Amino acid sequence: MAILELNNVKKSFGTGHKQVDALKETNFSAEPGELIAVIGPSGSGKSTFLTVAGGLQTPTSGTILVNNQDLSNLNEKQRSKIRLKEIGFILQASNLVPFLNVDNQMKLLDNVKKDNMTKEELNSLYDNLDIKELRKKYPADLSGGERQRVAIAKALYSKPSILLADEPTASLDSEKAYEVMELLKKETKQNKTTTIVVTHDTRLIEYCDKVYEMTDGVLRLKETS
Amino acid sequence: MFLAWNEIKKNKLRFVLIVGVLMLVSYLVFFLSGLATGLASLNREAVDKWDATAIVLTEESDKSLPQSSLTIEEADDIKDNETAILGQLNTIARNGDAKQNISLFGIDSEEFIMPKVTEGEKFAGENEVVASDTLKEDGFELGDELELSSTDEILTIVGFTDSARFNAAPVLYGEVATFQKVKFGEGATENESQINGIVIRGDDFSSISPSNEDLEIIEVEEFIENLPGYTEQALTLNFMIYFLFGISSVIVAIFLYVLTVQKISMFGVMKAQGISNGYLSRSVIAQTFLLAFIGVVVGFALTLISGAFLPSAVPVSFDIPTMIIYGVILIIVAILGAVFSVLTIVKIDPLKAIGG
Repeated sequence: MAILELNNVKKSFGTGHKQVDALKETNFSAEPGELIAVIGPSGSGKSTFLTVAGGLQTPTSGTILVNNQDLSNLNEKQRSKIRLKEIGFILQASNLVPFLNVDNQMKLLDNVKKDNMTKEELNSLYDNLDIKELRKKYPADLSGGERQRVAIAKALYSKPSILLADEPTASLDSEKAYEVMELLKKETKQNKTTTIVVTHDTRLIEYCDKVYEMTDGVLRLKETS
Repeated sequence: MFLAWNEIKKNKLRFVLIVGVLMLVSYLVFFLSGLATGLASLNREAVDKWDATAIVLTEESDKSLPQSSLTIEEADDIKDNETAILGQLNTIARNGDAKQNISLFGIDSEEFIMPKVTEGEKFAGENEVVASDTLKEDGFELGDELELSSTDEILTIVGFTDSARFNAAPVLYGEVATFQKVKFGEGATENESQINGIVIRGDDFSSISPSNEDLEIIEVEEFIENLPGYTEQALTLNFMIYFLFGISSVIVAIFLYVLTVQKISMFGVMKAQGISNGYLSRSVIAQTFLLAFIGVVVGFALTLISGAFLPSAVPVSFDIPTMIIYGVILIIVAILGAVFSVLTIVKIDPLKAIGG
């Protein structure tokens, strides 16, 4: 059963002759345990797709189903609740709170949501991401790669059904970028999460189950060998 | 509270500065309130000690005790109430070395306005007085013979009493006859029933109507408010305190707004993650409460400590319940100052904040 479905979703900005269709009529679905890449050049509509799918903005038309809940007609407060419960974000900019150490980044989520990982699950996640030694460190004390691994841990800690990653390897060198993709793949399979990675780095597609290509707001499934 | 406290722990210097400003504002508020209470006491403590409900004065005196002139017999009109006769005049007393403005009260030592003598004895005859113990700091002692500026009469201090100042002058309590000798000199015999007012203790004074239509009954609080300069002084100090409440609110609003603007991107990311406006707003309010509470408590302690080292000439008197009320108001206005930051957080668009 699909965990995320976009049916005839369109997102336009402006009106009349100034209207820009950032996302043309799109149909998309993703199953639990799938790692999906959305590739395309800058300005092609990838980020719009990600933010619409993640409930950060409403579509101009069409429906978005997250775990069978329609996001398209909900207000920001209602969408915020669904984001907290169902969706984890890994953003280009660090999604870490600068004045919280790694452990407290997770505790923050305990303050706003129940049913997060248990202590044992968190320790195992720390081991998998190789950040156990960093748990008392603050974001400013971490390298770019370490920050991104902590951001992945934070996104996974709330046990989301869907993980949306926007250029998660943008600030990393090739070696670290492959490491991060390897981790995302492992966590996706292990936790049956649906992970969608938006990237312009085509070297990363080898880690993904499906690859979509975005060109001028049109999303197409790309055949992979 | 989790976010608020962790941010304070991580950015100690920044928050110490904010607490410092709040502490200074609260210190100033507490000190001004102490000064307001002290100056008020300076004017009214002898009247407060009467524990009276009203005073009878002549209508034409315009509620001024020295300007009122009536007779002891008129006290008989006021039935079913405890009454005390009072003569009052202002003069300057000198014991040879020291000189001080004083207020002389002529009273009946058997009536309720007779103060408790804390040192020495009650006055027992003409020209004997019980003095305010604040005069001791000016060099006056038991047994001192006092020359007065307005008469040749010599008064002798036979006792001291506490909390006895009226209209910023220490009080000398003596017999009515002593007061009349000082006031009328050789004409004292002809004026032996002349006094300035009749003090009433009792709840039913409103039903009293003196036979003399020229007299009026004034509630004690109204009488105090009409002491020269009392209301103007109290209003000035209270205005300063109220302005400081406003200023502290603005200071907190500016500090928190700047801090919030610096964190817009962080709040945006948290909102994208599904953390609600309510949680973030509560965090800002909790942080403001913590900062204001610490600032006010430190300001409170600092006020009491510095008050203990002030010379007695400074008219400061700390009324703890009033200070607690002002402290609570300071915390409330600080929280009101945080409302701008809360509105800013509510308006943050997570999409823009994460650069979407």
